[in-house]
Amino acid sequence: MPGQRVLNIDLFVNGLIMGSFYALMAIGLTLIFGLLRIVNFAHGEFYMIGAYAYTLAALKLGLSVWLGLPVAFAVGGIVGWLTERTLMRPLYAGYASWGLMKDEYAVVVTFALSLLLINLVDKVIGPYAVRGPGLVDIPRIALGPVMLTGHKLIATIVAFAMIIATALFIRYSLWGRQIRAVAQNRLGASLAGIDATKTSSIIFTLSGALAALSGALLAPIINTTPDVGSFPAIKSYVIVVLGGMGSIPGSIVASLLLGVLESFGAVYISYDYRDAFGLAILILVLLLRPQGLFGEKGREV
Amino acid sequence: MTRSSQQRLRDELVASLALMAAVAAVPLAVTNDYWLGVLIVSMYFVFLAGGWNLLAGYAGQFSLAPATFAMLGAYGTGLLAYHWQVPAWASIPAGILAAALIGMTLGRIVMRLRGPYLALTTLSFAEIMRIVIGNSYDFTRGDLGLSVPALTNNRLVWYYVFVATVVLMQLALYALLRSRAGLYLMAIRDDEIGAASRGINTAFWKTAAFTLSTALAGLAGVLYAHFSSLVSPELGLILQTGLVICMVFIGGIASLVGPVFGAFLVYLASEALREAGGVQLIVFALLVILIARFFREGLWGLARRLLERPAP
Amino acid sequence: MNALAARGIAKSFGGRKALDGVTFAIDYGELVGLIGPNGSGKTTLLNILSGHLVPDAGEILLDGKPMHGMTPVRAAHSGILRMFQLTRVFRRMSALDNLVTAGCALGLEFGAAQARARELVEELRLEHVATLDAGNLSGGQQKLLEFGCCFMVPPKIALLDEPFAAVHPTMKEIMAEFIRRRHAAGQTVLVVSHDMPVIVELCRSAICMNAGVVLAAGETREVLANHQVIEAYLGGEAA
Ligand SMILES: Nc1ncnc2c1ncn2[C@@H]1O[C@H](COP(=O)(O)OP(=O)(O)OP(=O)(O)O)[C@@H](O)[C@H]1O
Ligand SMILES: [Mg+2]
Repeated sequence: MPGQRVLNIDLFVNGLIMGSFYALMAIGLTLIFGLLRIVNFAHGEFYMIGAYAYTLAALKLGLSVWLGLPVAFAVGGIVGWLTERTLMRPLYAGYASWGLMKDEYAVVVTFALSLLLINLVDKVIGPYAVRGPGLVDIPRIALGPVMLTGHKLIATIVAFAMIIATALFIRYSLWGRQIRAVAQNRLGASLAGIDATKTSSIIFTLSGALAALSGALLAPIINTTPDVGSFPAIKSYVIVVLGGMGSIPGSIVASLLLGVLESFGAVYISYDYRDAFGLAILILVLLLRPQGLFGEKGREV
Repeated sequence: MTRSSQQRLRDELVASLALMAAVAAVPLAVTNDYWLGVLIVSMYFVFLAGGWNLLAGYAGQFSLAPATFAMLGAYGTGLLAYHWQVPAWASIPAGILAAALIGMTLGRIVMRLRGPYLALTTLSFAEIMRIVIGNSYDFTRGDLGLSVPALTNNRLVWYYVFVATVVLMQLALYALLRSRAGLYLMAIRDDEIGAASRGINTAFWKTAAFTLSTALAGLAGVLYAHFSSLVSPELGLILQTGLVICMVFIGGIASLVGPVFGAFLVYLASEALREAGGVQLIVFALLVILIARFFREGLWGLARRLLERPAP
Repeated sequence: MNALAARGIAKSFGGRKALDGVTFAIDYGELVGLIGPNGSGKTTLLNILSGHLVPDAGEILLDGKPMHGMTPVRAAHSGILRMFQLTRVFRRMSALDNLVTAGCALGLEFGAAQARARELVEELRLEHVATLDAGNLSGGQQKLLEFGCCFMVPPKIALLDEPFAAVHPTMKEIMAEFIRRRHAAGQTVLVVSHDMPVIVELCRSAICMNAGVVLAAGETREVLANHQVIEAYLGGEAA
């Protein structure tokens, strides 16, 4: 049936597009997990802040939408940087003397930060939904059988460009190599003269900036509200787990896969339960591959 | 348990009972139905906070699903009444049992997970449950909510049912924590491998902590369901779990009185602040961050340090 | 019949052999030193004996009976108690509670556990810190405390992984004296240490490992005189 095929291609392409935004979101969370072995539960709020920064820069300050993207990127970076400075430092600096254990501290503090940011924005900007202007004003572009808005096409290109740039940055730049060294062996890296604290700072800044950029790119597609971050955050958790807990290529593949799976699942399985699929997969992976997650277990003894 | 830690636990029990005595006396002065209702909902949170504190504060298992089990308990009793007209004397224990059994199963499943992995798994479980209940219109009526038979409309009766149940919970927790079980849970919290090598059956005690904690959440849920005569998936929102965590941390984690105190303080303050412009969650989140960062024992810990000034 | 024996224990980590057929036996009431250069597999062996690791091959015999499917909990209940190289205490419980917990876990009644804990606290000179949280004790005091936890209920055999490492000489003497006294009363102990003088002084017999195999076992003096043992130590790091 030709109609069926067109639908499938459409679902596939749209899945890849969503996947690219997920990847932009999840890379930051992946980097943080790889480096510190913690989950940042406020990651979705970096996205939310980016979406607001972009929308308000364009609508309230009258900036060009093309300036809105770097503004969102910068604001997200600043929030990420501040988070590391104020809340994450005790995780690796003089934390042994703490009564609260590392994991518990990270869970509680990032969870509370998420609550704080959501309600701060709710109070300062308001609870109502806002929608950002598109990057271009072309309502329809036909890519073969697939119809897209101009914004979606350009946003996807920007997303892929940023993903590639980030991957290259981590792979080849001096900072990137330091990040990988610290992720592999914090103590060893610091003995080799790498400043592990600075590395964490860079990671949080980058993580906030990328998530915010993802928010900015989606602001014209998904209504922005103070609690909009919860859906991309949950996707990111799923991706980090699927992608192998800390691997960047793994998380990119997982993002695209999740985007496509959800796209098909919503049509062929159930629209209402679409958000539950990824979560169920997350639980299964965590339970069935614990040896992958606890490779260092024996070492603890 | 040594004298000093037993003494400390007894102080905490006494403090919480004193607080509950004060709460029990409130209707003498306040007859306003609205504020009595606010206090009843605060006590709903006392169960959740007390249960989560047992699991997270004493056993060290940071679950992110306490509110979910209240929702499950509430739907347990609600669905039995709605579909099969089961009377409340049977559906209430059944709801608690359902929450506890699901909690026990979850506890067994997540047995090997720690820290961020446990948090992620329980968070996902919480979201799945909420999505499933919220979308199964045929069975649960989804977002519309489910009406539950109100056993009585007398606020005062409900008020004292809640007060009495909270007191029972405190006594039970006290008995549990001063027995060897309390020692085992704390040992597991501090060092699971070490606990196992001393001969503590960590799998059993972790499951027990999960089961008890979710049973308390289920208890909260069933009481709330019949009190408000309406249950909805919103009971299981992550935000509700966030509130519970705020209560435990602000009041003082790993103490018997902290969560009770925290639940009243946070819920009453949020009602008061709501009228003053809705900044309550901002304040609580900030407080939690400050407490986790600078004095993890919360307000009760602060109070104790002031009271425990060395006697001459 | 031996108190504890191992036959052909092997264990690899990702293709790297940490233990390659370890066989030895410890008699009732013996106090045996386990020595060997860094990385020779001593801790790995203890982890297997105490159920923390599953061996790839070989078997463990306790009281002459083979132990299958050993877990740390089962090991503890069958009388194998251990001390870890990296100290493990319950940091947010008082020192006394640490001891009481260890006692209760092995079936002591509450009151009995408390009385016993108090005796041990005295014997180990921890009275002045007994009610402090274990996490606030000094490194040496924590070692003493963990040491005490192994003796709340006299174990069939105590496995001590470097109890003397980085411990103040006074505390080292407290522990050594404690071991001596228990040994005189018939306690079976396996103690890992790099501290040769202490091993020579404490242990009549010793086992020396290198690169995952037992090089020599027997009278301590003879083990130390064994040319392979000398070579292993002179050769520096185990390959
Ligand atoms: N969980 C593990 N994963 C990988 N390799 C391991 C693990 N545990 C131990 N090893 C390796 O096995 C070998 C033996 O280590 P083990 O800790 O048993 O030595 P040891 O004799 O106790 O040394 P030390 O005197 O330094 O304590 C070492 O090469 C070590 O790197
Ligand atoms: Mg060792």
